[in-house]
Amino acid sequence: IQPPEKPLQDEEWNRLREKFKSPEIFEKVMFNSMVRCNSPIDVAKSLLTHVAKSNGDVAYNLLVKYLALCVQQGQTSEIRDVYDIMKTRFRILESGAYNLIIRGLSNSDQWRMALTLLEEVKKIMIPSRTNYESCIKAASRHQEMNLAFELYHEMLAKDFIPTLDVLQALFDFSRGMKGAQLQKELFGILLYLRENQIYPHKTFMRSIKLWFESIPGGNWRGHLTNIKDSGQCPVCNHQLEDSDLTEEEYNNLRERIIRDVIHGTDTFRKTSPQEFEAFQTFVENRLPFDIVIDGLNVSHIKPRKMQCENLFDAVNCLAKENARLLVLGRKHMLINSSNWKREIMKEMQNKADFFFAENISEDDAFLLYATLRSGKHCKFVTRDFLRDHKACLSDSLTRHLFRKWQRGHQISKKRVLSVFFQQPAFRYDCVVQTTGDTWHIPYKDIFEEKYSYQVPRKWLCIQQKQ
Amino acid sequence: MQSANMLLKKIIRSSVLPFAAQHGMKKDLFPLSRTLSLSLCLKQDNSCKPSEKIDLDAWKKVMKSGLQEVVSETVSDRKALSALAAAREMLEMWRLAGRSVPENISEEQLKTFMECPSKSSQKKYLKYLYLKEIYKKNDQKKMDEKRERRLETQERASETDESKKTSFICLWANCMDRAYSWRVAQSMIFGQPLVFDMSYEKDMSVREVANTVRQIVLSEGCNRRSVDPFHIHFCNLKDDSLYHKEFIKHYRQAWGKLLITVTDQCYTEVFPKDKLIYLTADSPKVMKTFDHDKIYIVGSMVDKSIKTGVSLARAKRLGLETAALPLDKYLLWNAGAKNLTLDQMMHILLTLKDTGDWKKALEFVPKRKYCGFVNKPVHELKKTLNLINMLKLGKRQEEVRKQFVKNYSKKLTEK
Repeated sequence: IQPPEKPLQDEEWNRLREKFKSPEIFEKVMFNSMVRCNSPIDVAKSLLTHVAKSNGDVAYNLLVKYLALCVQQGQTSEIRDVYDIMKTRFRILESGAYNLIIRGLSNSDQWRMALTLLEEVKKIMIPSRTNYESCIKAASRHQEMNLAFELYHEMLAKDFIPTLDVLQALFDFSRGMKGAQLQKELFGILLYLRENQIYPHKTFMRSIKLWFESIPGGNWRGHLTNIKDSGQCPVCNHQLEDSDLTEEEYNNLRERIIRDVIHGTDTFRKTSPQEFEAFQTFVENRLPFDIVIDGLNVSHIKPRKMQCENLFDAVNCLAKENARLLVLGRKHMLINSSNWKREIMKEMQNKADFFFAENISEDDAFLLYATLRSGKHCKFVTRDFLRDHKACLSDSLTRHLFRKWQRGHQISKKRVLSVFFQQPAFRYDCVVQTTGDTWHIPYKDIFEEKYSYQVPRKWLCIQQKQ
Repeated sequence: MQSANMLLKKIIRSSVLPFAAQHGMKKDLFPLSRTLSLSLCLKQDNSCKPSEKIDLDAWKKVMKSGLQEVVSETVSDRKALSALAAAREMLEMWRLAGRSVPENISEEQLKTFMECPSKSSQKKYLKYLYLKEIYKKNDQKKMDEKRERRLETQERASETDESKKTSFICLWANCMDRAYSWRVAQSMIFGQPLVFDMSYEKDMSVREVANTVRQIVLSEGCNRRSVDPFHIHFCNLKDDSLYHKEFIKHYRQAWGKLLITVTDQCYTEVFPKDKLIYLTADSPKVMKTFDHDKIYIVGSMVDKSIKTGVSLARAKRLGLETAALPLDKYLLWNAGAKNLTLDQMMHILLTLKDTGDWKKALEFVPKRKYCGFVNKPVHELKKTLNLINMLKLGKRQEEVRKQFVKNYSKKLTEK
């Protein structure tokens, strides 16, 4: 229903309500459409008055909807009035009302009131992320950066993941401000981005750049650039961090893969203990491999061709330069069939080591194990994104490690040519990084779609001129 | 004129009061006395300015007036709120705000609510309780209506009062029960065993266990009523396990009198290993015929969070033969997981046992999961499907379908 444009009299409201098909929910529906159409606040008031007169009371949900309308239009005094009324009328308020009031007040000159409300919320429940973010934005808008960062840390301590929006606000409002402490805090945010592999978008990147350049006496200069495949920054000629894991990270990842992915809750789900043991001894006897191939995955690359032909092409293509290959497959590949010719399989087994798992076992888990066991130089070939295996890892830190390792070690075929491109062109690690007097920050264009497996190609290079 | 005015005032006074009391507010929120004071001031408001300009803030006055009494009370009360009471109050406010929250919530449910690890899990739990409440209320309403109708018909019957003469006393339910029990008792001596594996408690949440037990109760019921029942075994059922508690909740005293075998032993200890077949949707082997000499095992597990390979792992560990229903062979599968509920399994197995007819047995697969039965050779089906899609859909979608059918037929030929 369309809300009226002017405040109505009681009779007029009554008439409207009678015309409406289900009069019990008339007010609710009317208020919803008022919020949607952003109706003038007076209309809403007149409806409230009408409701109050005929019922002697206004229901809580109507008050909340009215509040939403006030917040939408920034009617600070109304928000306060509604809050006072609610406060006297009800013992506690629920989270939805608090969200609205805090949001409404933090955008006004009465933002300090939002802070006291936040304290009030803390007494009865855990405030939501938006509560914190509204208050942080309000505080930073009024240049109270200490307060803003205090709230920011409180929020992080409660395990909320801040939106890029609020982080950007912190950079925006710190522009041109002095203070070593403040600088440290903002560097802290950049390190937070690094640790969680978050990439800022273009406007956020611009805020970061402007902030750096505005630091009084800092002499920072920022440039947008593309990093060369070698990992060198064309602006400052600085070599970026390489994508290898540290020894500790590597061992950690390997152990977690064995524990969470291969064994999981029950070793029998993906393989069996005997089979895994057999595989382990097989790998130990033939270490180290240079490339591990997921045979079944590769054999499906060209659907027109016979499956063993596809695999044969892949093995031939990768077998150059004495690389030691391991092909993982399943036992059914050994049975002579229309897709798997015995002669071709024989010929391939001269060029590479083969391990055939049981038909109902998961060969991907073996793929990961063999690659990790062979060492840092070893790469693996599959088109699979391995998301299900990543999901088996129990904490986000290890999942990040897994992604990083995967980026550096997975080879997948790019085009339908029979040539394998080394897809990890990245010999450098794609995260926010610093050396003290330089910062390199990868960012994504808003318009460019970014999948979780893609990493941004554009960089912000910031360096300090002495 | 004045007298007319007086009269009008009187009418308003007498009409407003009951109206407000009736419509006004929930009894538990507002004491009745306050309603009166509210409407009184409202009425004054009304009478002093009869419709010229609308007083937009009148509602505020209404809301604010008559509230002074409550204020003092709230301030003193707030300190004494325990965590549970606070949560209860919060829920009440959510309900007022129009969220899906149950009206009544027990202490125990409130505790479960507070133990929920995240906000979304809290929301889900509340919605579950809310829907449960609504179903319960509707059932209650239907029951009441039914009772009324029954009373009515009884009255009418007593008016006419014709006692029909039949050779049987009306004891249907009782007799049936006895006949069923006799059959099941027979099957416990001579019947084919069917095993429910009760070792999945660790893989399930509390609600999943409750659902499992419900499904088992249903399947036990349909087994009892069948012509030639199975001899049901509950294996690996430990005393004081969650399963056990739920069973007692469902059966009460009847739990001790059920004509089934309950044991905490594993099926491998009870039966010879080579006779056992574990039924699981993950099995690479497809069941061709129902074997009357084998002992089929059904895993008592409901997995809402699709854990693949759990029951297959169990069978692998014990070195048992496995089998899956030939769903792909007989049904053109549409959507949904291939794992069926336990009572559906029971229906299917019973039908197979009696008739050996796959088509008849697979009628018990939910209709939403498949498009129809495979009655022609696959390549013919493929042709018609292609034709239909060509007519119905755009070209791109047709490609997708083609791919689907191709894979489908491949799967069939593989097996």
